[in-house]
Amino acid sequence: MNITRRTFLKGSAAAGGTLIAGRLLSGELETLVAAPPGASPALAEEWVPTTCWIGKQDCGILARRINGRVISLEGHPDHPRNRGTLCPKGIAQIMALYDPNRVKAPMIRTNEKGVPGKWRQVTWDEALNLVAEKIKAVRQKDPRLFVWQKGRSKAKAFYDKAFVKAAGATKLGHGTYCSDAGYRAAEYTIGLHGVLHPDFRYTRYLLCWGWNVTNAGGNKFCWLTWPQQLIQARERGMKMVVIDPRLRSAGHFADEWLPIRPGTDLALALALCSTLVEQGTIDRAYLQNHTNAPFLVKEDGFFLRAAPEGEEEEGKPLVWDEASGQAVPFDTEGVQPALEGEFTVQNSKVKPAFQVFKEHLASYTPEWAAEVCDIPADIIRRIARELGENARIGSTIVVDGITLPYRPVAIMAYHMTQQELGFQAARAMIMLMMLLGAIEAVGGQRIDLTWKIHKNWEKLDRVEIKDPPYNIYLKDSKFFPINSGSPSVMAKVMLEPEKYGVDYTPEVLMLHMVNPMPSFTDEPLHMEAYKQFKFVVAIDPWLSKTADLFADVVLPAATIEKYEGPIKASDQYTDAVAFRIPPMNPLFQSRGEIEIYMDIAERAGFLYGEKGYLAHLNKELKLKDEFALPLDRKPSVREIFDRWARAQGIEEGVAFFEKNGVKVKGPVPAKKYYGYAQEPPFNGIRHRLYGESLLRYRQIMQEKGADEIYWRDYTPLPTWRPLTMDQSPPEYDLYLISFKKIEFKQSRASQIPLLAELAPQQYLEINPKTARERGIADGDEVWVESHNALTGETRRVKVVARYRESIRPDTVGMPHHYGEVARHPWAKGQGPTANVLFFGTEGYLTNTADATFHVKVRVYKA
Amino acid sequence: MARYAMVIDLERCTGCRACVEACKVENNTPTANLWMYVFRFEEGEYPNTHVWFMPRPCMHCDNAPCVKVCPVGARYKRLDGLTATDWERCIGCRYCEVACPYGVNYFNWKDPAENYYLDWNDEDLAAVTGGTTPPYRNPDLDQPYGSEQRRVAGGGRAKGVIEKCTFCVHRVEQGLLPACVANCPLFALHFGDLDDPNSTVSRLLRRKPSFRLLEEQGTQPRVYYIGGKPPTTETRQIEEVKARV
Repeated sequence: MNITRRTFLKGSAAAGGTLIAGRLLSGELETLVAAPPGASPALAEEWVPTTCWIGKQDCGILARRINGRVISLEGHPDHPRNRGTLCPKGIAQIMALYDPNRVKAPMIRTNEKGVPGKWRQVTWDEALNLVAEKIKAVRQKDPRLFVWQKGRSKAKAFYDKAFVKAAGATKLGHGTYCSDAGYRAAEYTIGLHGVLHPDFRYTRYLLCWGWNVTNAGGNKFCWLTWPQQLIQARERGMKMVVIDPRLRSAGHFADEWLPIRPGTDLALALALCSTLVEQGTIDRAYLQNHTNAPFLVKEDGFFLRAAPEGEEEEGKPLVWDEASGQAVPFDTEGVQPALEGEFTVQNSKVKPAFQVFKEHLASYTPEWAAEVCDIPADIIRRIARELGENARIGSTIVVDGITLPYRPVAIMAYHMTQQELGFQAARAMIMLMMLLGAIEAVGGQRIDLTWKIHKNWEKLDRVEIKDPPYNIYLKDSKFFPINSGSPSVMAKVMLEPEKYGVDYTPEVLMLHMVNPMPSFTDEPLHMEAYKQFKFVVAIDPWLSKTADLFADVVLPAATIEKYEGPIKASDQYTDAVAFRIPPMNPLFQSRGEIEIYMDIAERAGFLYGEKGYLAHLNKELKLKDEFALPLDRKPSVREIFDRWARAQGIEEGVAFFEKNGVKVKGPVPAKKYYGYAQEPPFNGIRHRLYGESLLRYRQIMQEKGADEIYWRDYTPLPTWRPLTMDQSPPEYDLYLISFKKIEFKQSRASQIPLLAELAPQQYLEINPKTARERGIADGDEVWVESHNALTGETRRVKVVARYRESIRPDTVGMPHHYGEVARHPWAKGQGPTANVLFFGTEGYLTNTADATFHVKVRVYKA
Repeated sequence: MARYAMVIDLERCTGCRACVEACKVENNTPTANLWMYVFRFEEGEYPNTHVWFMPRPCMHCDNAPCVKVCPVGARYKRLDGLTATDWERCIGCRYCEVACPYGVNYFNWKDPAENYYLDWNDEDLAAVTGGTTPPYRNPDLDQPYGSEQRRVAGGGRAKGVIEKCTFCVHRVEQGLLPACVANCPLFALHFGDLDDPNSTVSRLLRRKPSFRLLEEQGTQPRVYYIGGKPPTTETRQIEEVKARV
């Protein structure tokens, strides 16, 4: 199962007097004494291919193992995402593997909740029986009362989904605290599942819009792959304009820095759109043929449609055909659709959606945006001009023998959608790229790794807004018709169910690799709500802060030392699939999650049979016929993956991955990659420049009596409005933003001593000018006090101030992931999470129930 | 005989400090000993600022001040260009630490076995690792190296000795790259033989202007920087590591 990369030890060990691993070198005198020759057995070296467990992009690893003990984790040279290298977290996680401060054995709480836990170590049997009993009871009562929450799935989420479906639980993820607003915007507008990234092999001009180049990832990948592709693009001559309140993120890779005022990205995107339209650098052919820009819009804002063909069918939207001088269905052969003008059809005045957009943009001038964003108007005009020039509208290029439009301009944006207008800001940024015709063109705007229309393309256009009662995160509600499923919305609803038309309170919570208290916005809100759960079980290698406060049972999960997969390994140009293979047996009493789920399901009575967990595993992994798991026998985890691999046509089964770690499938062909390369292009869908259904949702929400705060951002075209946070009193004169550091990833890294050593303490980045005005010296302790403009609530934390010139003077920043793990010697004294200061309720949520990491604060000496 | 050198491409460095970690794990260095260090720098005033990064290993100087002051010959220059430390011979006088203008020497104030970040003295762990400290202890470090067969590899050897970057002598002698170079995610670090005109390092130095740190002091470092300029008195360090000792 293992590969041997070096055989040097055979020679040198025999000659030099082998020292076997041991305590030989620990004492002062002993260090001077070499072991006598032949005293120790020869060292057996093996290399076990596996996959990183820390980050989101799951880099390939070769674990170097000597006599069964892992001594280092190195980058897998064949893995497209990391090519033989690892980020600092990937390297340092070896310490997490062995850390004796891990949860070693199952634990049951012995004290009250809401305070740090006191624990009794128990057997797996006792813990599993208790968990199973509670789940069984709650499922009998009402499965909706069972909530399952996960931070990140470290492979294809098949075993998660299978468990949730088999149990009938309500599932909540972490996406609302990530970039789900951007996902929803892209799914709705383009039909692809992702946010925004470039086609680095060809892009020549990049708007790095809040992309944290040197510290964090971006769309789809966590860190390493994007910077690798970035340096290649830069060495080829790509220009990069950084739009960010702080420069540090982009480092020296910025050709130009536009320090934008936090939360105003929508205004800048609109002004850029406005300037492009004004200067006429727009791709008319793309807009006419592949978007709804020519669809005729009536005065009420809805499309003019042909008479319906059947009773159920909605008529096709009409366009103005300039050839025949009449309105015809948009897909009429040979049509020459007008983008501009005003027409009278069926006695009503209509305009093409593009004309509506053009008029909508008229007031969003660079001069207007300059005031809002604090970026000079002439710079906005110049950026628009550079975008227009670099887009080379009309040009083509041949890739893989296919002639495709060449538009080498793109935006890289990800967590910048974590703002009040995040959904519409992301939409406006996509629309900017639509005007340039850069969507899915060569060198242009990418959303997903390959062209694949996501189910939300249809779903988000046809949400049926229901009357109460709603579920716990307000799915299909009049509050958030497009809804990413927010844990802080759940928390709020749990505290005021009647207000939201919810008629139940969940009772049992399963936390899997998730630590909502410190890692999601609004720690105090979660604190209050989680008190209401009657039973909480956490599956985690670490005692998370959340588990320490609220778990009844903690089940120790393994870290990297388990089977997990299949894991996507594409770097967007080379396709591959990988597995996590245990480089050694699970440490202590920890176990892999799939085993734990199978045991819980078995004991709670839903493992076997047609509706059981095993049946759902078959479904999620698409295991059929001879590859399907028998429904009456509990398999080993290895067997599950062996069946999967064989079902994929890999004859050796999972042994292939045990030997190689990654299966490289080869280059992604243009046909699979570019939407333009499909036949017909984009599979014939019309990208939604104009969001007709958003207007429909707005009206239904109004009819059903939702407050303006919920429906105001449901507009067919992205519309600027003043931000909630700007309504805070003037003494809250600074914007607080947050950011990721390269050293930490969610709740899995900040307690790793090698990483904690590099970034030991929480701090506040503050411009020296701002600090001096307040009498704050570099290194002083300060209070950071946030204010909720709607409720008046204030919160504060004490941190150390650090001078930084590369941040706006009206903005301060705090990094994430401090103080997330309880009772770890290296987590002690790390300081507070920034999430105490952010709010997770109305005004601080997007219209899609996604979180924002923006708030107004004041900063004063402690 | 090869004469090794390192070339660091500042244009590529993102300051991620993966090299720092790769060094620490490979060489088993104790807490606070950062043989490879990466400076994160800021220059200028808002909004005209510049942020950049500079890895700093031992410079392996040809005219090494540390070698000259070592009273016992523990610090010595190898023919292949490496500046080595024989920890068996080191008496812990710290003269090298004072003489070095680059600050790359780390003194073991504590017993290294008790200074590996965590208390590894754990029964459950010992059942798996045999009580090795740290549990990822690299046995390659326990070999003698060079024609002299001296004890020059790795860290965490003993209390009261000086340790520093070895250019991963234990890897280089096997034809492998130093751990920091092998792992650099942005391929900013290069290592090789300057006597070989076709080596990557020779080619890079021919193609791009380079500098060495404190070149004016005549130390003749074997670490070259390309794609940038040396820091000045106007350069401020940000996100510095203040290690817990």
